[in-house]
Amino acid sequence: MKLAHHLGGIENLGPVSTDTRVFAEPWEQRIFGIHTVMMAESAHLANARHAYPVSTLPTTFKNDWTWASLRTGAEDMNPFEYFKYRYYEKWLGGISQFFVDQGYITADELAQKTAHFRAHPDAALPEQPNPELSRQVDAYLLNGDSGYHEAHAAPRFAAGAEVWVADPQAVDHTRLPGYLRNRRGVVDCVYGGTFAYFVSTGVDGIGTPMPVYRIAFDAADIWGPGKSEPNTTIYADLFEAYLQPVADQPNNERTEP
Amino acid sequence: MSNLFEFPEDREASSAAKVRALEALLIEKGVLGSDSVDAVLKHFETMAGPFNGAKIVAHAWVDPAYKQRLLDDTPKAIAELSLPLGMAGAEGEHMAAVANSSDVHNLIICTLCSCYPWPVLGLPPYWYKDPVFRARGVREPRAVLQEFGVTVPPTKQVKVWDSSAQIRWFVIPEQPANTGHLSEAELATLVTPESMMGVALVAAPAV
Repeated sequence: MKLAHHLGGIENLGPVSTDTRVFAEPWEQRIFGIHTVMMAESAHLANARHAYPVSTLPTTFKNDWTWASLRTGAEDMNPFEYFKYRYYEKWLGGISQFFVDQGYITADELAQKTAHFRAHPDAALPEQPNPELSRQVDAYLLNGDSGYHEAHAAPRFAAGAEVWVADPQAVDHTRLPGYLRNRRGVVDCVYGGTFAYFVSTGVDGIGTPMPVYRIAFDAADIWGPGKSEPNTTIYADLFEAYLQPVADQPNNERTEP
Repeated sequence: MSNLFEFPEDREASSAAKVRALEALLIEKGVLGSDSVDAVLKHFETMAGPFNGAKIVAHAWVDPAYKQRLLDDTPKAIAELSLPLGMAGAEGEHMAAVANSSDVHNLIICTLCSCYPWPVLGLPPYWYKDPVFRARGVREPRAVLQEFGVTVPPTKQVKVWDSSAQIRWFVIPEQPANTGHLSEAELATLVTPESMMGVALVAAPAV
């Protein structure tokens, strides 16, 4: 079990943060920006619904880099470190490691350069603008990367149907919140069209275009009547692979959350 | 939570140096231009941000028919307004609005990561990204809201929206009482990102 797959519902964590800052430290803006440039020059965008000319961009970046990349990294973290490190500290760790693992930079040169900037915090960055890449960044932010596709078949479930949430083998990455596994809900809305995900999650089941449903869950059906607040409904958008007809549920017994 | 852990004294300085080193190396290797990161940051200062969401909410308050259209087909209704380009851009390709009322309070969450409607709200604040909020918001939303200073009585329905697929949700908060005399632009200044995620109510201006 991975912490990030099962975060929803964990108890005894103490008070929430009410920090309304987007960036806690100025350096965090830079790693957010690096990640977003990587998404804008990701090789997969050549074949995206809104196709971008990334194959001819003047960049040495040749990988796919999507939200799935960042999320998979976060899901792979030690649970204590997941709680220990601030949001953009995790990004900095994950993205740096990606560039080392993929051979764009070496761990040694990163350590040496870090020591240099530690000793000279105001030392300038290399001056090497890339206007074509900046235009691609703008184009990506303005037009996005939708997973939408036309539907070629009727969705499996209709609005109002009761469904049972599947419990596929947990692998590296999922878009199924763990607290919903094996729970019953009702189809509140069948979204038009079908939706691909950035990558195939293998036996987890998503990737190729499929219908997405908005499922309504009574909180008492998820947490148990004695452990939930009254009059509370949880809505989740779930890919069709995560849903089963209630008739297929092996038994009606529910495991304790 | 993080007060349970020990951090080096130079925690921020070392991260600042590391991210600068990474950016410098990526520029040298041709992965980034020296202007690329700034291009991203500029977008969130001028094009995508909570200033857009505030205008949408204020317009919904003064025009109930618009509010209904916004709930029925959020992207189409947003496209009616004079907002910057990119309202269906990155992390806003499929947005949907839900409305608070005397009977319903809505709370937006992303238990798996930090999905957030960028074009209308910009980037997510720390409370939204925090694992404690993401863990507790689906199990005890009223207790969480109370910690933000929002009391939701048991008789009022709470709807929690967990963003796990394509939709990016935002809330149309209730218009505060005694603000009917304010202009749409004045109303927009009252609307905070927190109110559009459901952890705050909109307050009338202090008199």
